[in-house]
Amino acid sequence: MAEFGTDSGGRLKGVTIVKPIVYGNIARSFGKKREEDGHTHQWKVYLKPYFNEDMSIYVKKVHFKLHESYANPNRIVVKPPYEITETGWGEFEVVIKIYFNDQSERPVTCYHILKLFQSPVVDGELTSSTTMDTKKGLVSESYEEIVFQEPTQVMQHYLQLSEQSANGVSSHDTDFEEKKIKTLDNIVNVKQKVKGEIVSLKDKLKLARETISKFKVELAKVQKPPA
Amino acid sequence: MSADVRDILDMERANTPEITRDSFLATKKRNFERPKPNSRRPEGMHREVFALLYTDKKDAPPLLPTDTALGIGAGYKQAKARLGMKKVRKWEWAPFSNPARNDSAVFHHWKRVSDESTDYPFAKFNKQLEIPSYTMTEYNAHLRNNMQNWSKVQTDHLFDLARRFDLRFIVMADRWNRQQHGTKTVEELKERYYEAVSLLAKARNQTNERKSFTYDAEHERRRKEQLEKLFKRTTQQVEEEQMLINEMKKIEARKKERERKTQDLQKLISQADQQNEHASNTPSTRKYEKKLHKKKVHHQPRPSKVDSVVNAIEIGSSGIKFADLRGSGVSLRSQKMKLPANIGQRKVKALEQAIQEFKVDPAPPPTEDICTSFNDLRSDMVLLCELRTALSTCIYEMESLKHQYEAACPGKTLNIPPSLVPIKTETLDTSTAGN
Repeated sequence: MAEFGTDSGGRLKGVTIVKPIVYGNIARSFGKKREEDGHTHQWKVYLKPYFNEDMSIYVKKVHFKLHESYANPNRIVVKPPYEITETGWGEFEVVIKIYFNDQSERPVTCYHILKLFQSPVVDGELTSSTTMDTKKGLVSESYEEIVFQEPTQVMQHYLQLSEQSANGVSSHDTDFEEKKIKTLDNIVNVKQKVKGEIVSLKDKLKLARETISKFKVELAKVQKPPA
Repeated sequence: MSADVRDILDMERANTPEITRDSFLATKKRNFERPKPNSRRPEGMHREVFALLYTDKKDAPPLLPTDTALGIGAGYKQAKARLGMKKVRKWEWAPFSNPARNDSAVFHHWKRVSDESTDYPFAKFNKQLEIPSYTMTEYNAHLRNNMQNWSKVQTDHLFDLARRFDLRFIVMADRWNRQQHGTKTVEELKERYYEAVSLLAKARNQTNERKSFTYDAEHERRRKEQLEKLFKRTTQQVEEEQMLINEMKKIEARKKERERKTQDLQKLISQADQQNEHASNTPSTRKYEKKLHKKKVHHQPRPSKVDSVVNAIEIGSSGIKFADLRGSGVSLRSQKMKLPANIGQRKVKALEQAIQEFKVDPAPPPTEDICTSFNDLRSDMVLLCELRTALSTCIYEMESLKHQYEAACPGKTLNIPPSLVPIKTETLDTSTAGN
């Protein structure tokens, strides 16, 4: 175990623990506008671990902040599943704040745009993270990683306990493994393209500059004589 | 204040709001605690009369009823005013003499009989100045210092005038006997007077007793000359001056802007130097840089706009430096992909466009690998955008040179290399893509 001095705030030097999570929402349309309040959808916003583990070992509470038009928009969930089910008619930004069991670790905040409607597909694959599932309805979720850099000893203890409780990857509506690979591939590809264009642009720029200096010489020649 | 002056001179006046009673009261109100308006009707005052005073929202009336004149509170109780309760004091038409006058003239004025006969009260305003005088020997000993301009007679005349007009030099200059003593200006009179006075004081060892003044005639002359010039400017000259001042302001603003830009560039260069330490390891870039450097030296006498753009790019001022999330604590991985706040709006815009153009997910799932390569990619994209801009600047300059050449030498032309002709800055050149 790494040593820690008094001046390091009881933190473990050189230790980094990563906890992947998934957050997002599912939504299902009523098919019509509800008479009494005009709501059109039922939705559920949630935060869950990427691997199947018990997050409550290291998470104290999760604070969901809904749109202010909801009755008591600040919803706090202290144990899994961390989710809020509501009905509504509009999309808005949900603020999800995660508090940890060790008070000396500051809470982290994710922002999720609650999705009720399928956005028009722009140029296909990678721009949209929403999928339509006939059984569940609309799913919009994001992958995120909580990075604990030099955690306190207590925190590390919790995180390890949680790790031990892990039991493989839990199933998610979005295939993030595939998405990760695809995204990385795409980035690498595009990087190649960009690098290629940079090289060609540099050559062109060189040529252009040489041409400019040549032109200047030519121009100086024709502009001189009349004197 | 200046508005009043303008009014007096009958000049065009700036639009100042007229002072109304309301606005005046509104501004005054804040300044002091106004006593609560006494809304009680004084005893004996008729209701109708009182209503005339208090019609407007209990504001303080312009005139306050006073009941203190004769007997407190009795002002409105008595039907008749009680006048003439005291004896009148008598006035008389009396002679007086003004001690300020030495001709012992006697005038008359009205005064109360009861008043003690005192000196004429306004006599004290007749201040007498002490103008020093000098004897013939004193003059010969000390005051013969400026013979060609000031003779004894002239100096005598000056001191005489000083005594007569109490040092009112403007009047003295006016009364100066030009026929006998030639023309003298106000400055010359003042100069000689104060010079003589201080010389006399020094000679008599009185320097401490009375303050001696030095008069800088040259300075005064210049001052008046300048005022004269300022006053005699024509409208055109005033306008020209205003125009020049505006021009100067513009020039200074431009200068500041330029300085700011060079400073920015300097900062970028020093940043880039650090980057270059790892970046310039590839031989091709290094060679290119060397070549460029040579060219830069060659170009020194005629630096162009393009050079500065290219230099900025080549030195590596482009690209993005992402924040390093070191240190302890919890954070979300996606924070690593946040653009730093110091990159400009223009760069952000260009980057967004490039991301769209290459169909990259603007918010990819943030694993460590993806974060790193996504950040690298965006840094490259910024460089790409800048190169594109630089190239189009170059091509523009090339074409303008070509046009100049064609204009200077009709029938002949310069050939832009074919690879640069169709300006393909916005589309990806597939032939060279993929290295």
